[in-house]
Amino acid sequence: MPLIRNTTPTAEPHALDERKPAELLATGSDEERWIAVRNAAETPEALSLLTRALSVERVPRVREAMFTALAKIATPESASVALPYLRSEDAGLRTQALDALRAMPASAAEHLSGLLDDSDPDVRLLACEIARALPTDDASRVLGELLESETNSNVCSAAIEVLAETGDAASLPILARCAARFSDDPFLAFAVKTASGRIGSSER
Amino acid sequence: MPDNSTKRVLIIDDAALVRAYYRAALEAHGFAVGEALNGLEGLEKLLLEPFDLVIADINMPQMDGITFLQMLRSKELPVSSVPVLVTSTEAGPHDMAAARGAGANYYLVKPIKQETLAEYAAIFCGRR
Amino acid sequence: MIDPPQMTEDEFRRLAEFLYRRTGMVFTESKRYYVERRVWERIDATSSSSFSIYFAYLRSEVRDEVEQLINAFTVNETYFYREDHQLACLTTDLLRERVATKRPGDPIRIWSAPCSTGEEPYSIAIWLLENWKDVDTYDIEIVGSDIDTRVLEAATEGIFGKRALMRLSSEVIARYFHELDDERWQILDDLRQSVRFSRVNLVETKETRPQGRFDVIFCRNVLIYFDDESRRVAAENLYENLLPGGYICLGHTESMSRISPLFEICRYSEAIVYRRPEELRRAR
Repeated sequence: MPLIRNTTPTAEPHALDERKPAELLATGSDEERWIAVRNAAETPEALSLLTRALSVERVPRVREAMFTALAKIATPESASVALPYLRSEDAGLRTQALDALRAMPASAAEHLSGLLDDSDPDVRLLACEIARALPTDDASRVLGELLESETNSNVCSAAIEVLAETGDAASLPILARCAARFSDDPFLAFAVKTASGRIGSSER
Repeated sequence: MPDNSTKRVLIIDDAALVRAYYRAALEAHGFAVGEALNGLEGLEKLLLEPFDLVIADINMPQMDGITFLQMLRSKELPVSSVPVLVTSTEAGPHDMAAARGAGANYYLVKPIKQETLAEYAAIFCGRR
Repeated sequence: MIDPPQMTEDEFRRLAEFLYRRTGMVFTESKRYYVERRVWERIDATSSSSFSIYFAYLRSEVRDEVEQLINAFTVNETYFYREDHQLACLTTDLLRERVATKRPGDPIRIWSAPCSTGEEPYSIAIWLLENWKDVDTYDIEIVGSDIDTRVLEAATEGIFGKRALMRLSSEVIARYFHELDDERWQILDDLRQSVRFSRVNLVETKETRPQGRFDVIFCRNVLIYFDDESRRVAAENLYENLLPGGYICLGHTESMSRISPLFEICRYSEAIVYRRPEELRRAR
């Protein structure tokens, strides 16, 4: 019958490219740069290599691999390389940066209080999503604090979205006060009502 | 001649509360609603079932709304021309231009009133 | 035995929203009773004192609790011809596309990872022999890989019981197995030797890379349980193990939308599968 194989696999593993990652990143094809990034993650110069390469890379797939490498390194320093891209005008780049931070929650958490305090409301909004990855009690505490003083209703809505998942009894009065402050925001009223319902019933 | 068949709207937003809010508004006005949490799931849903309108947010995990639109419009399938309303917290000209460039039919800035959403859904449903 | 306390509607919604976000699986009100029972089993198993405590534990992604919970919902046994709509898609659509640019005698490489105790790679082999007219035209290699050496040993041995064979007709069983006793059947030697088994951790590039590049990969019911970082790395590994234009099939409750944006979505009549994009021709 067919499907008989001899025992030697025909698989040809990729010949290891002898050129240095830095060189491949400067001059290689999309595929070569992608492989070089994947291989570079474990090297000592990885962070400086990735920082530079990320600032000039235009191909989404290769950028994605760079962000994965940062997430694999998983230190506050590697998280800080991803941070500036949260402010990008390119929606795709913002998503890639946020996804990378989600994949290294402990490292990202080191930067969270700064992000939640950022002068740019869009950054504060994305930071609420990073807070989701915190342990339940920490997420509730941190986002509760944000809600007490946040002036942008869309940022509040992002925080409430996460509190619907993590919130506890202490969150309820905070949510109520927020709804009162933004009484003319139609979505926020709905969000507070729904989130409070989610939280209220589980205190048993 | 008014078309009386139920119009189907796909909501693509990673916030569960936003999806619930839009769903409530649209169902109250007689629309049938599908949901997706990011652009990739949105594309999958569109390949599986017919929709008359898509409402897509911009900031979503895995695939943002602009990339979703670019992928959708580039497919050259019948579904590629479905009307898409883009929603965003951003009111800047750059984001509106990016959405228009990617093939959005309209752009709404959050927060959006439920009546407003239903109004625009009715306008854009069935329009190709 | 006291009835387990009921979940409130809001507790159920909270859990359902978390699971939808995390896995893409949708749990509607109609599934609530079923979900409740399983949740209370897990609450008991984890010695949680309440749903809130359990939910915090679930959210923390500690000790594979998401997998434990989801496993309780899905039928998790492995058997021959499981998800045969994907096998049908393989012969009807995927291989047709793959051979469009191949010549007779060219290799076709198919990877089953994880392969567990071998039902999946052997199913692929049997399905091809039974259903693909071109099975003799190409040089087909089937590789089965798993992280667990014990299941690999069992796979190599190729002995299966009644439940594993329940979807196979008696003709197919007679053709590809010999009966050891009335509880056990063994895959015929020829077929057993034609599938290569290897130990691979899908998250380790050093282990996935040597497997080479494949035309089709079956990677079912494992990626969705990895944490964020491992999902990304594994997806990149699998991308690297695919030939341009090659396909990857996930479990029927899984979606790349929770895993990685690397792959194109392909809708066929029998299944949604994913594909590594073809190489762009260099414009000059």
